[in-house]
This record gives sequence, C-alpha cells and structure tokens, in this order.
Amino acid sequence: MFIFKNKINFLIVVIFLSSCSSMNITEENVYSDNVKTVKASSSMPENINLDSMAIFANATVYFEFDKSSLTSKSIQTLKSAVDALNENTSIKVTLSGHADERGTREYNLALGQRRAESVSDYLVLNGINKSRITVKSFGEEKPLAYGQDESSYAKNRRVEIN
Amino acid sequence: MKKILLIIFFSNCSFSELILEITQGTEDPFRVAIIEFQGSNEISKDIHEIIKNNLKRSGEFTIFDNDDLLSTPKSENDIIFNDFKILNIDYLVIGNIVNDKLNITSEYKVFDIKKSKKVRSSTIFGIPNKNRQLAHYISDGIYEEITGIKGIASTKILYVTENEDFKLIVADADGKNEQVLLESSEPIISPSWSPDSKKVAYVSFETGMAKVFVQDIATGKRDVVIKNSSQISSPAWSPDGKFLSLTMYQDGNAEIYILNLQNKNLTRLTNHYAIDTESSWSKKGSKIMFTSGRSGSPQLYEINLRQSNARPKRVTFDGNYNAKGSYLPNNEGIVFVHRADVNFQIAIKYFDENFIRPLTESQMDESPSISPNGNVIVYAIREEGMGLLSGVTLSGAKFKLPASEGAVREPSWSGFLR
Repeated sequence: MFIFKNKINFLIVVIFLSSCSSMNITEENVYSDNVKTVKASSSMPENINLDSMAIFANATVYFEFDKSSLTSKSIQTLKSAVDALNENTSIKVTLSGHADERGTREYNLALGQRRAESVSDYLVLNGINKSRITVKSFGEEKPLAYGQDESSYAKNRRVEIN
Repeated sequence: MKKILLIIFFSNCSFSELILEITQGTEDPFRVAIIEFQGSNEISKDIHEIIKNNLKRSGEFTIFDNDDLLSTPKSENDIIFNDFKILNIDYLVIGNIVNDKLNITSEYKVFDIKKSKKVRSSTIFGIPNKNRQLAHYISDGIYEEITGIKGIASTKILYVTENEDFKLIVADADGKNEQVLLESSEPIISPSWSPDSKKVAYVSFETGMAKVFVQDIATGKRDVVIKNSSQISSPAWSPDGKFLSLTMYQDGNAEIYILNLQNKNLTRLTNHYAIDTESSWSKKGSKIMFTSGRSGSPQLYEINLRQSNARPKRVTFDGNYNAKGSYLPNNEGIVFVHRADVNFQIAIKYFDENFIRPLTESQMDESPSISPNGNVIVYAIREEGMGLLSGVTLSGAKFKLPASEGAVREPSWSGFLR
C-alpha cells in the first residue's frame, strides 16, 4: 500500500532502436491517488433577531429574467420595509439575492448580488443607513420552487429581506 | 457520412451503470484486438473490462475480444499475424499481470499488424489493490501508442453532488472510484484544479456567504484565500499555479481580480458596472476570458494580459447567452455554454471560423470542462429534473457517467496525472 506512496518521480524511458524500425519501451509507476475527506462545519448565521423576523417575515421582492431592476410591485413591498426600518432604528437587515436555474451558476450568483444591490440602493435612497444593510447572493443554489417551468422560475428570482 | 448508432450497457454488480452511447463515432475507427492479460484470472478480467471501456469511450476504437478472434496468443511467440490481418485488425495488445501481496506489475506489448511487428513494450508498476488505476495507465499507453495523443483514462474528474448534503467528489475519468473531498450542509460550486492537480479551489457557502477555498487533496488542509467581509467566487488557476483569478464583490458588483498566491497582492482586471465573472486562463497564461453582461446579455470577452491597460475584446456575437468559456489546450478555440433561442447547449468556436458549433442538443446543458488532451468535454445535463454528467468527444461519441447518489453537477477535469 505504501510502497509507492511518496514516489514523486516516474520514469518513462523511450528508446528508439533504429531509424527505420522504432519501438517504444516504457516503464512507469502508478501514482497514489489518496484523498483526505474534510467535513465543513457550517457557520450559517441563525436568524436570532426575533423582532426583525416578526416585522419582515417573508418579505420578498421578485424580478424579471436576467434583470435586477425593481418592479412597481417590488417598490410597494420595499416602501413598507423602509417604514419598518425607520420605526425600529436598531434593526439590521440582510438582503439575499437569488436567481432561477437558467444560465450558468457563477453568472447567476452575480445576478443575485445585483438584485440584492438594487434593493439596497432603494433602501439607502430612502434614508436607511448603509451600515444597517448586509448584501449577499446565493445565485441559483437555494431555489424555493423546484419545477422547471416559468412559475417556479419566477418564484426563485427574488431578494429575501430579513 | 457514416452514422453509427450503438447503445451498449455495461453492468457491474458493485457499481452503477456506465452508459456508453456512441451516436457518431469516427468514420474510420482503429480496429484493435486486446487479448485478456495472462496471470491472476480475476484481476485480468477486471482490468480487461476497464481497458476496453476506456478505449471505447473515446469513440476512436473498435475493440476485438478473445471471442471475436481466430487465435488468442498468450505470448509474443504465439502470434500468427495472418489471423489478425484477415479480420482487418490494425493493432494487437497482449500482456500479463504479476500480482503478489506487495506488488502488482503489468507488462504489455502492442503490435502493428500491417507491419507484423512490435511497436511498444511497456511495464507498469502498480499499487496493490488499485487495479483500476493500473488499467487506466495501460489504457493510456495503448491510446498514446496508436493515436499519438496522450490518453486521459488516468486523469480525474471533480464534481459536486447534492443529496442530503453537498459533497465535492473526485473520481476517475470514467466516473468510478469516487472519493469525497468535502462534505457540507451548504452549497459548493465552481470547483477547479490547480495545474499540478494536487490542490483544488472551490466556492463554499459554509460561512453563510460565497467564499473561495483552496484545499490540498492528499492532506485535506484547506484555507479561505482572502479573508474579508464580502463574497468571493469563481476561482481559476493560472497555468503556472502562481495566481488565482477570482470574482470579487467588494465594489458592489462582480469584478474580476487576479490574486498572487505568494504575496496575496490583488490586481483588478475589470471595471464595469455590468456583471464580469467566470474568468479562465489561456493555456500559456497570456489571456483571460470571462463572461460579461456589458452588451446587455451575457457574452464572452477576453483580455490580453501582455498588453498594459488592454481593453476587453468581445469574442462571441451569435446567440443571446454565451457564458463560462474555456480555452482548448492547443488554443485553437473556446468551449462554452451557448443559447441561440431558449435551450442552453455546450458549443465550440474555433478561432479560424466565424460561426459557433453546438456540440449538444438538450435543454439545460452547462458547466463544460475540457479533458487535458482536448479531445473530450464533460458537462452537466438535466434528465427528468435530475442532474447527471455527460461527455462528448470531438470525434462525436457521447457517453453518460454513472449516476452517483443525488444530483451531480459542476464537473471539472484534472490535468495529466502520469
């Protein structure tokens, strides 16, 4: 098992016997492909601020495909979020952007971020201090609906405010 | 044009099925006879099957077994070349396996039938109980001898599975011999190999936010590459292994930076209010390609690193979505995710052509990764809502890798390991 474990060199000997008739003679060692398994300890922040949970429970705004601009419906939702934030100045919010599964994962991560930034811009424009806002994206990695249809996609293109 | 439709199922009691679906092989495949190797019976049978599958998966071979042949020589002296000439066979492979408790060794020889002569004689010193690896090394030697191109049977594929939790897995290029690198309750995306294939970089959400980690495969030692409060993603190694290009969000928008892994210096590469992400390096490290939304839809751009203040040059124009590009090893072109109307396909564009060639035809193909010899592309597909890995060779053969538990995605091909 351990004989070749740390052998880094391998050897290929190629001998050309003559110019008109050549033959390859090779020798090589197989590398070890040992793998160490690691378990990631998740430090996902828990939502412990029950006050903010109560006020913002499931406050979510939705977006068009490949778009990060706010719709008039989103703005209605955000207006009440601004009011709540103004009433409770101790509350901080996290804006988590999401995308539907169409398109590449990294592009969708960036798209989710843009959506969360749009919401952040709106809040800041309406007087909320930027230090109270955390912006992040989960891209297409945390869908709410698993179907492969427009109604599922529409549910997944969102920013969650909590 | 000759089209071959061939569906072959190989089953094995301890593994899930490898489905070889050759929709279009090469017009003129090499006809190769492989005699089951002499020596330890069970191991020989095992190794024989693995070699056959490896060569068939390339789409470039028709393999002849003991049963298909007029004679089955045990050694060089037994060979009757005419028995193979009659069957129009191009090459013959014979060999043996010597296995004792401490060592496993294989010697094999390749004969050119038309010339009636031996063209290769090889010895491989294997690792006991790692018969699959030994078989992969033999496959690569045969492949290289016959095609003149380095084989990829002994390379590895990295991918992510989602079941109860998320796993980052490394497996042989045929999808077997799975080993878990990382288990996490939070998503893992964008795995990428270091050029020496000893480390991997990936994005993990375990801290509650996308962060890039680098992990040593053999020791499991891992670190966040940049410690700050904003999210970081899309790692790609420079060909010399000294730099990592990344997407950083500290400016409120996805921008590409280059991190010097030794002194941790950061150099900003892009500066645009649109999304810039999914960077990848050309094989000589002189160019970086990336996806940008600056034209209004995702398109591929490249930056020449040898010019100072070089402006990004757009490289894709057809289609409403072109993303996650990577360069072919010989720099002849690029492979990427392409959408002409509604379906996402894997496509290739050669630099000397002014059109895009789609390589796949389902609806949601993504994450293409090119084998180190440039002959095969592995990518993620959806079947009945399930994620699977599939492969397509540039000669037209397609195959699916065995379904692991849960959804499989984000494949990334290693460099050459031998």
